[in-house]
Amino acid sequence: MVHRKSGLAAAVLLACSPVAFSGDLQINGFMNVTAGALSTNKISQDGYDDEVSFDNGTLVGLQMTKQVNDSTSATLQLISRGSQNYETEASWAYITYALSDDTDIRMGRLRTPMFYYSDFLEVGYAFNWVRPPSIVYRMDMLSSISGVDLTHRFVAGDIDGSVQVYSGRFADDIDLYGDVYNIQMRRAAGLVLNMNYGDFGARVSYHQAAITMDISPDPSGRPLDQLAAAATLYNVGADFIPDEDKSKFYQASVSYDNGSQAVIAEWTALEHETAILNNDTAYLISAAQRIGDATIHLTYTATADDLKSGTVGNVQKLAKQKESSIILGTRFDYNSSTAFKVDIQYNDEETVNGKDGDSGVLTTVGMSLVF
Amino acid sequence: MTLFKLLSRFAIAVSFLAAAAVQAEVAVIVSAGNANNALDQDTIARIFLGKVSSFPDGSQAIPVDQNEGSASREAFSDKVLGKSSSQLKAYWSRLIFTGKGTPPKESGSDADIKALVAKNPNLIGYVDTSVVDDSVKIVFKF
Repeated sequence: MVHRKSGLAAAVLLACSPVAFSGDLQINGFMNVTAGALSTNKISQDGYDDEVSFDNGTLVGLQMTKQVNDSTSATLQLISRGSQNYETEASWAYITYALSDDTDIRMGRLRTPMFYYSDFLEVGYAFNWVRPPSIVYRMDMLSSISGVDLTHRFVAGDIDGSVQVYSGRFADDIDLYGDVYNIQMRRAAGLVLNMNYGDFGARVSYHQAAITMDISPDPSGRPLDQLAAAATLYNVGADFIPDEDKSKFYQASVSYDNGSQAVIAEWTALEHETAILNNDTAYLISAAQRIGDATIHLTYTATADDLKSGTVGNVQKLAKQKESSIILGTRFDYNSSTAFKVDIQYNDEETVNGKDGDSGVLTTVGMSLVF
Repeated sequence: MTLFKLLSRFAIAVSFLAAAAVQAEVAVIVSAGNANNALDQDTIARIFLGKVSSFPDGSQAIPVDQNEGSASREAFSDKVLGKSSSQLKAYWSRLIFTGKGTPPKESGSDADIKALVAKNPNLIGYVDTSVVDDSVKIVFKF
């Protein structure tokens, strides 16, 4: 709700401008229409079940940018997601101020730049998969932040790149494994370094925040309340109630794209002070081959939890997860702004909440447009 | 129907002519009043991909594109930027929706681009060499 205000501020700014619909107003949009189904209900993946669903991955986004003057612009990005009953939300709303040709400051509601694909996570046209693998691209609900960032672009010899730093906060009710929790991230900050050299690219980033969640030990409550209740029985309850506990996120990726062949490897790790969320690492390796208007790609992605030591770790075992996926997909560029995609994902849930899991196949078909 | 057939034949003939012209030569041009005399392919690609926003002499560089589908544009994307039109669209869609960049403005055909570039020393464009005259200078040819 806090964020709606900043959205409104930018909207008012757009509306109040007397030349709002002149040539300075730039409108861009994107749309993904996705259908998907699981081979079995024994696994859970991206919110799908064994019946075909259209709503999970379907969304439409509209972005309006108004150039206020030479150095200042206002941007508003509205998104309606099928997974949220197509309610329209201001995903981004920010003012950009150009300090110089190479340096921009943005203020407002921004996308948290955690991953390689974070900036265009929902613009299906910009990548080959129907959606980036959720084993690595987790924490969807924390993908926006209210604050300020600074991006500086540089060229050093044959290398060009950018440095981005940001700071802000986030508070909202989030959906975690089907239940709603209130989460507050304060003093969130991060640093992203991006570099390109010819067909090669590299990105490293670090992020941190102090996390508070509405967890109350209750054996008949939500799953995380139950976990905290179990911890209380073992006298380590306090470790499972996040109250301004620091969490850290590390990311590193390397990519190569020569126009016909493309490869990307991305590694990420989460480190929590609180015990209610397990530390984990997750990575993906993906290779793609373009043949004319078609692209064939293959991805391996895996994650495993890393538990704390002692009694706390023993309690964390109740929520331990380990899984991997192989994704085989094709993308067909129907024209220069429409792509048609099919992904087949074999998902092996080795450990789910500390117990042996199952495996199954998720098939998704999608159409992505930009306009 | 006959008119349509006639038009489509005319369109095909025009596109053949255009293709032949591309094989002739496309040139990257700046205004005759621009201080830069020659640019290498890397610099041009960086300007058109929004990675740098100034000429080597430090003055502001604003790239202008031809309209989608033009033969010169296809040749320029392919040979200078090394990207197909779909790849280029994907590249810009990664930047547009992050506020980190906007593609060069689509500003017409060979003749339109030449006229625009001639008037503004900050602009850089590409045209078929056949439209080049004294008002602009060639900084790169392919």
